[in-house]
Amino acid sequence: MTYRIHPALIVFASIVFFFLLAPLVIIIGSALSDTTYLTFPPRGLTLRWFENIFEMSAFRRTAITSFQLAFAGTALSLLVGIPAAYALNRYRIELPSWLSTVYVLPILVPEIVFGFSLMKSVTVGLETPIFLTLLIGHALLVLPYSVRVVSASLASFDFSIEEAAISLGSPPLKTFFTIVLPNIRAGVIAAFILAFITSLNDVSVSLFLTGPGISTLPIQILAHMEQFFDPTIASVSVLLMLVTVAVMAIVEATLGLTFLTK
Amino acid sequence: MKYFRSWSLALPATLAVLLLLVIPVASTIATTFGESAGPFAPYIAFFKSGFRRTVLWRTIEVALITTAISLVIGFITAYVIARMPGRLKSIAIIAAVFPLLTGVVVRSFAWLIILGKNGILNDFLIWIGAIAEPLSMLYTEFAVIIAMVYLFVPLMILTLVGVLEGIPNDVVEASISLGASPAATFRQVVFPLAMPGLIVGAVLVFTGSFTSYATPQLLGGERQMMMGTFLYQRAMVTFDWVGASTIATIMVVVTIGIVLIMSRIARRLNPMAV
Amino acid sequence: MTVSLDIESITAHYGHTEVLKDLSLSVKAGELVSLLGSSGCGKTTTLRLVAGFLPPTKGRIKLGDKDITRLPAHTRNIGLVFQNYALFPHLSVLENVAFGLKQRSVGSSERRKRASEMLDRVGLSPYAERLPAALSGGQKQRVALARALVIEPPLLMFDEPLSNLDAKLRIDMRVEIRKLQRANGTTSLYVTHDQEEAFSISDRVAIMNAGKIMQLDHPEVLYQRPANAFVARFVGFENLIAMKVSERDGDRVTAEVEGGSSIALSQDSLGPIPDEFVLAARADGLSVRRSGEGLPVTLGLRTYLGRAYQYQCQSTAGDLVANGPLSDPMEQGGSAVLAPHFEQCCILPVEA
Repeated sequence: MTYRIHPALIVFASIVFFFLLAPLVIIIGSALSDTTYLTFPPRGLTLRWFENIFEMSAFRRTAITSFQLAFAGTALSLLVGIPAAYALNRYRIELPSWLSTVYVLPILVPEIVFGFSLMKSVTVGLETPIFLTLLIGHALLVLPYSVRVVSASLASFDFSIEEAAISLGSPPLKTFFTIVLPNIRAGVIAAFILAFITSLNDVSVSLFLTGPGISTLPIQILAHMEQFFDPTIASVSVLLMLVTVAVMAIVEATLGLTFLTK
Repeated sequence: MKYFRSWSLALPATLAVLLLLVIPVASTIATTFGESAGPFAPYIAFFKSGFRRTVLWRTIEVALITTAISLVIGFITAYVIARMPGRLKSIAIIAAVFPLLTGVVVRSFAWLIILGKNGILNDFLIWIGAIAEPLSMLYTEFAVIIAMVYLFVPLMILTLVGVLEGIPNDVVEASISLGASPAATFRQVVFPLAMPGLIVGAVLVFTGSFTSYATPQLLGGERQMMMGTFLYQRAMVTFDWVGASTIATIMVVVTIGIVLIMSRIARRLNPMAV
Repeated sequence: MTVSLDIESITAHYGHTEVLKDLSLSVKAGELVSLLGSSGCGKTTTLRLVAGFLPPTKGRIKLGDKDITRLPAHTRNIGLVFQNYALFPHLSVLENVAFGLKQRSVGSSERRKRASEMLDRVGLSPYAERLPAALSGGQKQRVALARALVIEPPLLMFDEPLSNLDAKLRIDMRVEIRKLQRANGTTSLYVTHDQEEAFSISDRVAIMNAGKIMQLDHPEVLYQRPANAFVARFVGFENLIAMKVSERDGDRVTAEVEGGSSIALSQDSLGPIPDEFVLAARADGLSVRRSGEGLPVTLGLRTYLGRAYQYQCQSTAGDLVANGPLSDPMEQGGSAVLAPHFEQCCILPVEA
């Protein structure tokens, strides 16, 4: 579809893009303002609010927790998600069709309901440590990305390639690692990135699962905002945006960004 | 054990979901039916209370308005993006993806700066002379809706760009070759083919905004309580777990109900399905 | 090392569907046998059973003296060539060919040498370092062939290896496959739905239908002496005419077709004729004449074949197809007789 577009539509789309990006520019501006309250355009320029974050141990601690959760949760979800995706594609006729629905339940059920239920049944019911419950919550929250994105790349994988390797004497498990995995690499990377970012930004599941001494960065930001309205939050937001930039650079380098419209 | 291999691979993920998601959520739902006052007591209480009804209707209203606005903005923008030449298209997609990958908290926070008493929107309106005194825009339904639209438009755009690009070009050309004007082609060919995608996008936005927490919390506060914030308040402030579970159950029923109904409709409307 | 392949009364299921029933097949050492049939006839299933990708419900598969029925697929040592080539997209052409040697723990320099030699034999040495995506369809199939041959398997199996290639290349490749197979003397099982391909490449061909082998024989025999109606139709006998013997006089037999007309046949050229039988004839084997001895018909549509005219004919025994001479074109609607050329017809048993 490349023929001409009505100029009015182009103007409309331009306004939409301004609407999408201006708020983020405003955050960056506010983070640099040399005032104790949030304002835009910035009055005076300073980096002291960035220094301030590093001085506040709560942000440091919760940031570390958030990255640990994102890494470990994503890794766990891939660990169980890749075999499940493989089974769904390789043994399609053997497994019931409802099984693939089971794996998307974590995004079908409202996140906040999932977080609340996990707190009631696991944190309170089983008295599990806070970090463990958070990890369970995050791993499950991102499982749908692991299963679906890996599934999508397995769907276009020609399993006769795997059979060729086996017929040439390669044992099945080894074949998975030497033949199948290298060919679904893009899907695994994509799943990892989507899962990682989802976990890092999560509020609704973590909300009920944080506890004394252990919290995640988004929850800490929310808590901070309820008490203070200074540029510290803006500078934390800028740092989180830098993480997004880094992630997008990885996506662009490995898969190309157009991948995200598929 | 005929299907031993397939099941053993699928089992860990299946068990994780069943044990750690399905059972906890089911038990949340179950607690609402186990009250001594009768099996539906919590629901009768919920719908008897004017305040709780207001929260539910407000949530539905906000979600519906957000969905409608996102659909219009998202579809037009996606339509323009789908027709852009390659290079420009990638830039446009990056511009849409960037907010999507930025967290909900950060994106809601931006509107706190914009809509505040001393925020830039008030500054701007005073500067152009439209108003004399700053308006209080925060903690209104308007603030929640604008932030939610901001939250969900990128998702809608990306979903619909994918759908529009999936419409084969030769179908559009065939329509034009048969004498249909671009407008008629849009109405009679492009739009019907994009319909299932529009439904998918609408379901994503509706369920997302219906169950959101951070945005109503930051921009709506106590005054514009929605189901998500109400659930949190019941569970963690008043420790009314049965009340919270009742809210949770209503949320599950509404979202899953919408997903089931709309996906059935989308399937029926999808002319390209087998 | 040449060994035979023996499939002994194998039954197989996909889910609950029975796809093969009690199938037996022997391929002699060094022989190339084709499984020929339309899709769903069970030919690929047979190949997958032998390869070890599908466990049989019943039966036994032997390679030489060794029972391989329960052996894991990767230990069977069978060379496989797939329809869609199944090259490893992330490995170079040379690495693809060397893959099987690597699994057999052949040292890296030896591996390289043997893979290079094999690539040379299929004429692809200049492409050794490329990725499969950079090759044409024909080149990909050569790599797949080299990859299967380099492990020197006692058995080679081909699953429709040429069906993704264009017509010209298909003919070149099948000659090449046959040459390589002959040169190595490797026992081979070849699956195809293309009759010409099967007949030209094979020592023997098994024509399959609905999970059963209908006939297994040399191509010449299948073509000239099909054993049953299915095989006869499959190899192009358009006319199957049911007949009853009404009179015998030594080798001369008079047979009657439905509707009353009779025709004279000779056991001399057709072989023994039972009292009830089916006469099978290609269009070429029935000659259209204006008058004389033969089966009376009404002529229908005439088409031009280059070497003859072909007529759709109506007879009391049903619709028939027959050829007539170019020198004497006949009109639609006219009457004529069909005279069989006995040496081109055959006698089939009546089937229930």
